[in-house]
Amino acid sequence: MTAELTRAPMRTPAAPASEGPSLRARLLGLGSVFGKTIRDSRRAMLIVGGISAALVLVIAYAIVTEFNTPESRKEIARVIAAVPPIMQGLAGSGFNAETLGGYIQYKYGGFFPLVTGLWSILALSGTLAAEIRRGSLDFVAAGPVGRRRIALEKVLAHATMVFVAMALIMGSLWLAGTAFAALPGDEIPFSAAIGYALWLGLMALASGSVAFAVAPFLGRGAALAIAGGLMFLGFIINGYRTAIPELGRFADLTWFGWTNDHIPLASRYDWTSVGLTAGFAVVMLAIGVEAFARRDLGSTIALPLPRLPHALLGLRGPFGRSLSERLPTALSWGVGIGFFGLMMASVGDTFTEQLAQAPGFRAALETLFPDVDIASTGGFLELVFVEFGLILAGLAGASLVSGWASDETSGRLELLLATPLQRTRWAVASGLGVLVGVVIVMLLTAAGIAVGGSTAGSDFGTAVLGSGAVGLYGGALAGVGMAVGGIFGAGVAGTVVVAITILTWLLDFLVPSLDLPSWLQQLALSSHMGQPMLGVWDVPGIVLCLALAVGGVVVGALAFARRDLRG
Amino acid sequence: MTAIIETEQLTKFYGTHRGIVDVDLVVNEGEAFGFLGPNGAGKTTMIRTLLDHIRPTRGRARIFGIETTADPVAIHRRLGYLPGEFALYDKLTGGQTIEYFANLRGGVDRAYQQQLMDRLDVDPSRRFREYSKGNKQKIGLVVALQHRPELLLLDEPTSGLDPLIQQEFYSVIREAKAEGRTVFMSSHILSEVERTCDRVAIIRDGRLVRVDRVGALRDMAHHTVEIRFTGPVPEAEFRTLPGVSDVVAEDHVLRMRVTGGITPVVQTAARYELSDFVSREPTLEETFLAEYGQEPVAEGAGNDR
Repeated sequence: MTAELTRAPMRTPAAPASEGPSLRARLLGLGSVFGKTIRDSRRAMLIVGGISAALVLVIAYAIVTEFNTPESRKEIARVIAAVPPIMQGLAGSGFNAETLGGYIQYKYGGFFPLVTGLWSILALSGTLAAEIRRGSLDFVAAGPVGRRRIALEKVLAHATMVFVAMALIMGSLWLAGTAFAALPGDEIPFSAAIGYALWLGLMALASGSVAFAVAPFLGRGAALAIAGGLMFLGFIINGYRTAIPELGRFADLTWFGWTNDHIPLASRYDWTSVGLTAGFAVVMLAIGVEAFARRDLGSTIALPLPRLPHALLGLRGPFGRSLSERLPTALSWGVGIGFFGLMMASVGDTFTEQLAQAPGFRAALETLFPDVDIASTGGFLELVFVEFGLILAGLAGASLVSGWASDETSGRLELLLATPLQRTRWAVASGLGVLVGVVIVMLLTAAGIAVGGSTAGSDFGTAVLGSGAVGLYGGALAGVGMAVGGIFGAGVAGTVVVAITILTWLLDFLVPSLDLPSWLQQLALSSHMGQPMLGVWDVPGIVLCLALAVGGVVVGALAFARRDLRG
Repeated sequence: MTAIIETEQLTKFYGTHRGIVDVDLVVNEGEAFGFLGPNGAGKTTMIRTLLDHIRPTRGRARIFGIETTADPVAIHRRLGYLPGEFALYDKLTGGQTIEYFANLRGGVDRAYQQQLMDRLDVDPSRRFREYSKGNKQKIGLVVALQHRPELLLLDEPTSGLDPLIQQEFYSVIREAKAEGRTVFMSSHILSEVERTCDRVAIIRDGRLVRVDRVGALRDMAHHTVEIRFTGPVPEAEFRTLPGVSDVVAEDHVLRMRVTGGITPVVQTAARYELSDFVSREPTLEETFLAEYGQEPVAEGAGNDR
């Protein structure tokens, strides 16, 4: 007798008692990976899109209020044309700068991709990698949705939110052109607003897509560093390609270089380059999706980074430990800002040469900076390095403070303070570790400026000393962060420092633009630094910075000793 | 007996949220004390208050006779602590982490440290972030134990440990107790508390509902009795006996729950022809669950001062 193999009939599961998620939940809520990602990124979208859109309106209003005659517009165009290429630097093309749209494009248009790009990098580096790290993706991936689909839904949701934010910016550009147009040519056509917003969204996605492609291989931290580094590098070298033609070949490898001629608010379009940027983003996102689908979940390639020698691990006590933990962050920021300083200092002689060929511009500068030698490396750095350098110093302070705060937010402090370590001692020692980290950033900045200045063959001594401003400003903000962390909880410390940095930048930028009372600008710490690259120091400001740095540690320590440890 | 931990009406509120309420407790020297309760009952709040990581809303706690808020460092010098959940330095190896905590204590007996690492099978060469949950827990245990503290405060210490390492851990705890050291251990693994502790406290919604010796707690609870008769089941006779409840008759078998003394049940059953009599002693788990259905005891009740 031959046994006949029969397959057991598959049981049909009973019909589910409940219905599936609604369309609304799938699109905007907890009904799908897409919906949840949309839900999670609402706040970020509103912050980036809302603030940028509001800024566009404020800037446009300020421009048409300040320059409301044809003569004043011609003067703007003349001044912009007279600015030597090296001074144009990170601003955009001066094409059609006498119109509202053209001026926005020239003065501010190039900076928005940094903000939106940073958002996209943070979101796309973490959307999968951070979930893997905290373990939640193990649950999601164990569900009935495939990995490829999970990754695709996450990417699509982020892209959707980017374009919603861009729609806000597009709307505000169109509204600004319609509501504030004071002179012929000020109207911003719908096509120009779309052209700018589409470009901005794709620039953001191009930056973020690099992070998304790298994250499955190297993890979130490396993805952030690589994508962020590429974005800032692309922005800087593309900004200086006119002044330093050798940079052009490197700039053309980046999405900033590709779209250099796409300046829609100034009525010049280069849709091919926009398409190229879109194609690049799609390819990188596809790499990220496939890598996530094919690789082991959470398995990353460890980069062969050298480990710190035992002596630098800081195992003797909390100061050394804090400094050792902050060291990689301090070195990264120091090298980054130092490299920026090096680039700027190394073209100081070019600036001097170009300034000699633009006597009108030189005269204008000498009116602004009397009694100083503007035609020097220090003079150039005062004009092009200090403002951006201080923003970077503030952000460096914020990341050092966030690292400091992680002792409490991660729960390490539970164990540390169960040893015979006084709370105040931990707070002071670890706080000093942060301040020494700021000093390292400052020293590397000074080193960058020294190397750059020496290659240019110019006198750079004053400028090297001026890099102390980076340390003073970064230290002051870090001190404020640690005081806030000590009083209200370490979890908010880094965020507060970022907020102060941005607020300070906004004050610096909006008060003159909107003709607001000068005392408002005096609230910004950055306006109390003097002209450090020219050797002119604002003594009360310096004292205030030192007091904030040291006092912040002390206040934070005293407050921390009196409050509950956050669990 | 010297009291190592003493609390008086110890209370902690997080804003309006309840942590612990009016906890009166004494833990004596050389005792292994279990602190039982489900998630959210207040076990971790209690331990963090004892450490002065959080400050009491009212009441007080003393460890080694020192008020916890007055000189926490003097207390910390003499205790070892393992949190329920913790993270350490991702970039340091396990060995470097242990070394750092040893340094914070001014150095430890290296031979004992190595012995602990061997017994708990710790691989000190890997970075902390590369460890599994169980291996991270082992590092935490070495950090807590390496300086031979007089008092061990352990918050769910065997979480994530494999059974072999759990056995080794129990053995370490027994040795600590034998050396006269004190152990205060929170857990919701009842068999673990039953195995290692002398006394146990049960906490519910932030309040102590019972403090007693592990054995007494078990004795005070109910027995499950199953009697198999050769003839008809005299169900009515048993229903009226003191302490008897949940009586169920099925064919020739009678099952019941007996609270308190079992003698009346035995005497009544002896009057009949039986084919079997089984009385099962309750586990601590059953006692714990039974206790959770009761009202809180009055302040200090059951404390063995």
